Amino acid sequence: MTWVNAVIQGVMLGGLYALFACGLSLMFGVMKVINLAHGDLAMVAAYIALGVVTITHVPAVWSFVLVVPIFAALGYVLQRTLLQASLNRGVITTLLVTFGLSVVIENALQQFLSANSRELNIGSLVSDSFSIGSQITIAYLDLAILVVAVAVLLGLQYFLSSSRSGRMIRAVADDREAAQLSGINYRHVFGIATAIAFGTVALAGLAYGMYTQFDPTTGTTALLLYAFEAVVIGGLGSLWGTLAGGILLGVAQQVGAQYHAADQVLAGQLLFLIILVLRPQGITSRRELA
Amino acid sequence: MEDQESGRLAGQDLQLSRRSVLRGIGFGAVAAGASGLLAACGSGIKGAGSGAAGTINIGFITPLTGNLAGFASGDQFVLSLVKGTSIYKSGIKIGGKTYKINVNVQDSQSSPTRAAQVAQQLIANHADLILTTSTPETTNPVAAACQKAGTPCLSTVVPWESWYAGLGGNPLKPTTDFKYVSTFFFGLKEFNGTFEPIWNRIHTNKVVACQYPNDADGNAFRYGFEPLIKADGYTVVDGGAYTDLTASFTSMISLFKSKNCEVFSNCPLPPDFNTFWHQASQQGFKPKIATVAKVLLFPADCDALGPALVNNIATDSWWGPYMPYSSSLDGMTAGALATAYQAKSGQQWLQSLGSTYSLFEVAKEALSKVSDPHDKAEVAGALHNVSYSGICGPINFAAGPAPGVGIIRPVGVQWKAQPAGSKYPVEMKVVDNSLNPSVPIGANLVATNA
Repeated sequence: MTWVNAVIQGVMLGGLYALFACGLSLMFGVMKVINLAHGDLAMVAAYIALGVVTITHVPAVWSFVLVVPIFAALGYVLQRTLLQASLNRGVITTLLVTFGLSVVIENALQQFLSANSRELNIGSLVSDSFSIGSQITIAYLDLAILVVAVAVLLGLQYFLSSSRSGRMIRAVADDREAAQLSGINYRHVFGIATAIAFGTVALAGLAYGMYTQFDPTTGTTALLLYAFEAVVIGGLGSLWGTLAGGILLGVAQQVGAQYHAADQVLAGQLLFLIILVLRPQGITSRRELA
Repeated sequence: MEDQESGRLAGQDLQLSRRSVLRGIGFGAVAAGASGLLAACGSGIKGAGSGAAGTINIGFITPLTGNLAGFASGDQFVLSLVKGTSIYKSGIKIGGKTYKINVNVQDSQSSPTRAAQVAQQLIANHADLILTTSTPETTNPVAAACQKAGTPCLSTVVPWESWYAGLGGNPLKPTTDFKYVSTFFFGLKEFNGTFEPIWNRIHTNKVVACQYPNDADGNAFRYGFEPLIKADGYTVVDGGAYTDLTASFTSMISLFKSKNCEVFSNCPLPPDFNTFWHQASQQGFKPKIATVAKVLLFPADCDALGPALVNNIATDSWWGPYMPYSSSLDGMTAGALATAYQAKSGQQWLQSLGSTYSLFEVAKEALSKVSDPHDKAEVAGALHNVSYSGICGPINFAAGPAPGVGIIRPVGVQWKAQPAGSKYPVEMKVVDNSLNPSVPIGANLVATNA
């Protein structure tokens, strides 16, 4: 029964990882942008939410109503300016630019908001849970994050395959020149894709801010690596895969931890390495976006 | 990076740096200017590399910025108070000559590399004495540089074992005398002396859940603290040497639940405690008494978790307004120091006010015993023999567990959530004074989870 519990807790944790990896996966799938500032952007979203809560006194859970649109707009602007300019200069430039962005964000946060740890306070919801049998206890917060992750990833998948904008995004991702010949402004499409990706980053930042405490460096130290691993395990550029990858990573870690606490992180890394060796294209072999 | 000043206990790689908070977290190069070098040195050369004859140069290295900045948030205030006391204001009389005292503050930016760098600068600029505080990240590189260069140095807020091991000594056989450096704080024995009486007063099954990470501090507790409590009849359930910044502790929590642990002990990074404590309440792990180390030392640490979740968690306190002590510089009481800080800064008092203040008291004690403040060996020797009573209570450097080590005695405290509308959401209250009965009890010891 304890092992069943470990798997269930792993799925919950995987929801958080998948939510984090979603934006990364989308930006890579559409634009081939490896965004090293991903984790820091999530922290910026959490800090903005903190500000929103302080000023408007809305409950932290509802702060996404404001933060997600703000972030989507930020994403569009950033793509049309900085990121597009770096994309025009090649892949390495983009990598360096996002790395620089990461350093700038972290230091700016430390400078203006101090290194003190913060948390998005959601009251007693943070400790509430329900039990299944005597061994399995599920926290409402974890479950909510998992539900959001699944909804976001499935919703995006549906959006990309069925809506007109989604088809444009896929067209640009598949063959930019051909899409341009058909009259698509690929820069605008890139902007839209980044806006969506940033919206999901904001959600991930909020989720993490409620899950545990954060400070300006949390994005890079605690989150970025797992998000990358989820993307790689699932298959680069595939949203379905990202969800599966995040959940597999979470389960591997929790089962490892059940075996021995010291093996928690190790088990996740091992899974990552095994996938890289045996199936470098990721567990979902169809490349849906790229 | 942290390995170079790591401590070793008895052959094993037991590193001990209890307050080395947030180590894993990258060093953002916080815009914290390398402010001016030490004030200009005059001519009067006396002895090897001394400063101006009429001025005593004291360097003070503390983490004003970076991820350990919380420790130092009261340091500038303490410095302004100290500078207002008579000897720091108008000079100290030594051998019939009055020397002005010049204090030069340097920021270690919470980085060991930076701490070593500013120590070298101060030494190169003929500092007569270097004071340093707040976690091994800052104190250990500074002490090592001072010992090497032969500059007197005094540290605090670092467990003495870590400080001693960082210099290359063996805390289990502390016979080596590092003659230029001194420290005052406490060690594992005092942790034990603070936590066990608290556990003993709560009726438990004596099964202790231990959340010790796989890092310097965690291993020190695992190999240094667990044997102490086992010897006293407690059963240890070690949750395992987990990696710092772990995203989920549910497996460890289910282990603690299955072993029915009623006591909880830890020494984690702050974010790991936050995650653990959330999940413990979600998963229904409710130890009767939680005594934490390394986290929840300061009011700012309690903000993230919030008053409801930190209520009645116990930890150690080396200073507070409840200490029945007063300044050896101007007689200010511990209570008055805390009140003055709160009035000036608007922030709640914190433990490091007292320890930083005492650095300057001890410096005065040592300087007043020498015939020449520029004679480094003489100043260092005087530091090793200081015995006085100040705002942190009596400290005797000659009677410590190792040469140059003075011990202060912590008390057990609990965070108490305050009623709505209070000035501060939580207050630190003394609940156990077994190690130091002269400190009055401020509140009843209450089980963390009834």
